[in-house]
Amino acid sequence: MFHWLEKNPFFFAVGVFLVIAYAGIVTILPDFMESARPLKGTKPYTVLQLAGRQVYIRNGCNTCHSQLIRPFKSETDRYGKYSLSGEYAYDRPFLWGSRRIGPDLHRVGNYRTTDWHENHMLNPQAVVPGSIMPKYGFMFKKSADLKTAYAEAYTVKKVFDVPYNQPGMPKLGTYDQAKKAAFIQAGKIVAGMKNQGVKDAYKNGDIKEIVALIAYLNGLK
Amino acid sequence: MQSSNAINYDYTVAKYFTVSAIVLGIVGMSVGVIIAFQLAFPELNNFFGEYGTFGRLRPIHTDGVAFGFTVSGIMATWYYIGQRVLKVSMAESKFLMFIGKLQFWLYIIVVAVAVVSLLMGETSSKEYAEFEWPVDIGIVIVWVLWGVSIFGLIGIRREKVLYISVWYYIATFLGVAMLYVFNNMEVPTYFVSGMGDWFHSVSMYAGSNDAMVQWWYGHNAVAFVFTVPIIAMIYYFLPKESGQPIFSYKLSLLSFWGLMFVYLWAGGHHLLYSTVPDWVQTMASIFSIILILPSWGSAINILLTMKGEWGQLKDNPLIKFYVLASTFYMLSTLEGPIQAIKSVNALAHFTDWIPGHVHDGTLGWVGFMIIGGIFHMAPRMFKREIFSKKLVEAQFWLQTTGIVMYFTSMWIAGITQGMMWRATDQYGNLAYSFIDTVEVLHPYWTLRAVGGSFYLIGVFMWAYNIYKTATSSKAIEKEPQYASPMA
Amino acid sequence: MDMEFIRNLQGWGYVSMIFFLTIGFYIYIYYLYKSQKGGKKDYEKYSDMALNDDIDDTLVEGKHPQENKKDNEER
Ligand code: HEC
Repeated sequence: MFHWLEKNPFFFAVGVFLVIAYAGIVTILPDFMESARPLKGTKPYTVLQLAGRQVYIRNGCNTCHSQLIRPFKSETDRYGKYSLSGEYAYDRPFLWGSRRIGPDLHRVGNYRTTDWHENHMLNPQAVVPGSIMPKYGFMFKKSADLKTAYAEAYTVKKVFDVPYNQPGMPKLGTYDQAKKAAFIQAGKIVAGMKNQGVKDAYKNGDIKEIVALIAYLNGLK
Repeated sequence: MQSSNAINYDYTVAKYFTVSAIVLGIVGMSVGVIIAFQLAFPELNNFFGEYGTFGRLRPIHTDGVAFGFTVSGIMATWYYIGQRVLKVSMAESKFLMFIGKLQFWLYIIVVAVAVVSLLMGETSSKEYAEFEWPVDIGIVIVWVLWGVSIFGLIGIRREKVLYISVWYYIATFLGVAMLYVFNNMEVPTYFVSGMGDWFHSVSMYAGSNDAMVQWWYGHNAVAFVFTVPIIAMIYYFLPKESGQPIFSYKLSLLSFWGLMFVYLWAGGHHLLYSTVPDWVQTMASIFSIILILPSWGSAINILLTMKGEWGQLKDNPLIKFYVLASTFYMLSTLEGPIQAIKSVNALAHFTDWIPGHVHDGTLGWVGFMIIGGIFHMAPRMFKREIFSKKLVEAQFWLQTTGIVMYFTSMWIAGITQGMMWRATDQYGNLAYSFIDTVEVLHPYWTLRAVGGSFYLIGVFMWAYNIYKTATSSKAIEKEPQYASPMA
Repeated sequence: MDMEFIRNLQGWGYVSMIFFLTIGFYIYIYYLYKSQKGGKKDYEKYSDMALNDDIDDTLVEGKHPQENKKDNEER
């Protein structure tokens, strides 16, 4: 009865595949349908924030920091309200992380400020003695990549119907409009910083990575 | 042996992948040791600007050892074992030989592009699936070529029945193909918008869904890269090296299906505490417990194969590698389910206990099998004795010490940090600031980095021993049937 | 389709498949030992595929019966 399975590689392979594929469908598909809805008040990222998010990803901040507050008292005391599925509706990819070498950052915008981040990113050990976080001085020199950020915003709007331009949501027009909006947003952050290089660059029409990153971190609430 | 048959097994492709396993093992594990030291001594982050930071290097370590070292090991052993248990030589088919070589060279190109792109920061951030879409496409092609090679070789086989190892290789092929493709569905942004970085893409899934697909992949990729093909190796190398038939071949068939069911169906714990009827939940847990038993069959079967032959453990260092590997397999398959218990997970999640668990499995089980397997293959591939038995022994003990240092320090570190995060003073306020819980880990992180270095030195010893075996060790006339000859 | 219905479907899919697999699995065990005992097949012989794996070693079960191992044929 089973012997043909042992001898026929084709049926064998089909059998194995069915077993593993069916398991996948039944165990994850339903959760999939349930958790796709955004929570009320959750907004898509602005282009500047997306640029910052890309800086975050490119430098693997997620290898040390989680963005998932679990519903335990010890976590909500430390980081704030526990995370809800709908809050992540516009996160592509998700950035929950798997190891908390540094603290959770899901609501860091509630308790850290632009100037705190500026000092900390430049030299974490000077702000928090004993910190093991790397120094990120190069972010004060490298320019943020607004084009790729715009490309991403444009793609998610077009392909996944992310609700830009709807009432109460961020605007997304042409690249030039987006760039203008990013500069306005960046101006407020630069005003709160003291690094002269970053300020000068901004005056000359150049946004540094650190500005975009702080825009992103400030938006994590 | 009849001498009328002039065909011999052709190990060309196996040798290629042996070289890449060694080289990528050294690269991936060196990066691992570097990042381990970076946690203990953070100044080490700042030597190469953005390219030398922990966050950039970690994916190179994880992907380097998983898709570099381990996958090379899987390929090397497949191109060796596959021929032998099917009793057909690669030399008998020009086509398969071509596919094998093509697969190797494409693989090398993909690995090179992958390493450079990760170093540049081109990453999707999803763990063990960090590569951006061009690399993903390359990986899919390499994988398809491997499929052609597996089924091609099976197609021209002489031995009609497929040996158990071949089952496991087929499962590896199918499982990884399915998981990898679904988790890496992404939309390249350049082609939609016409601007920006052309490597960049966004995930097809958002937020929680992305997380779900990622960890469906993450959990099962461990199954199909770090478990299934490694079992394929041990079912060949241990019997062959010791000359003992598998304790119970029937048990090996049963535990194959047991593993296929349990691994992917373990996802059923997602259903617990949800809105499905209670009795369904109860049934689900009962059945998954019943099914766990057969999955343990493999490890026990392997250890019982050595029944009455434990003397070999003393005399033959390769047997030491295999037996310790299966012991570590048992340890980490016990540890995993423990960590999956809800209350334990609440403590262990996000701590060093998790990397600790991963490394019992990868260093002890995966690493030892690939190292031991290639040691077994070397005298047959190069027709020379293993260069130095003493060196094999020394490597074994050094690496074993390294692993023990690694996992003990990580267990303590993980549990300590987990406890400190939740500790409160008598008024119910948090007792420690976050940085307190970081500083306390320094000694454990140092110990871990030293343990890792021991293991890495062992890998260098292995590389040297294989190199000498291939080039200057004493030649052997007749292929050894069982135990590998060593000087 | 509301979520509750889908969840129920999932539960049923899960339990029925587990049920089916478990039954199938134990039938397989029964089959393996039965055919070994009844002398139809000698599974334990298959271990020889690893032990005697030179290219010109006798096959455990070749495509043509005459290539098979002796003792396999006699049964
Ligand atoms: C090697 C691991 C590591 C990496 C990589 C890392 N961090 Fe950290 N981070 C830490 C540690 C440890 C702390 C806690 C000590 C401190 O505040 O410096 C921390 C603290 C922080 C804090 C303060 C959070 C708070 O609640 O006080 C922020 C914000 C932060 N990191 C942002 C980042 C960003 C952005 C990146 C990526 C560019 C990054 N980190 C990369 C380890 C890391």
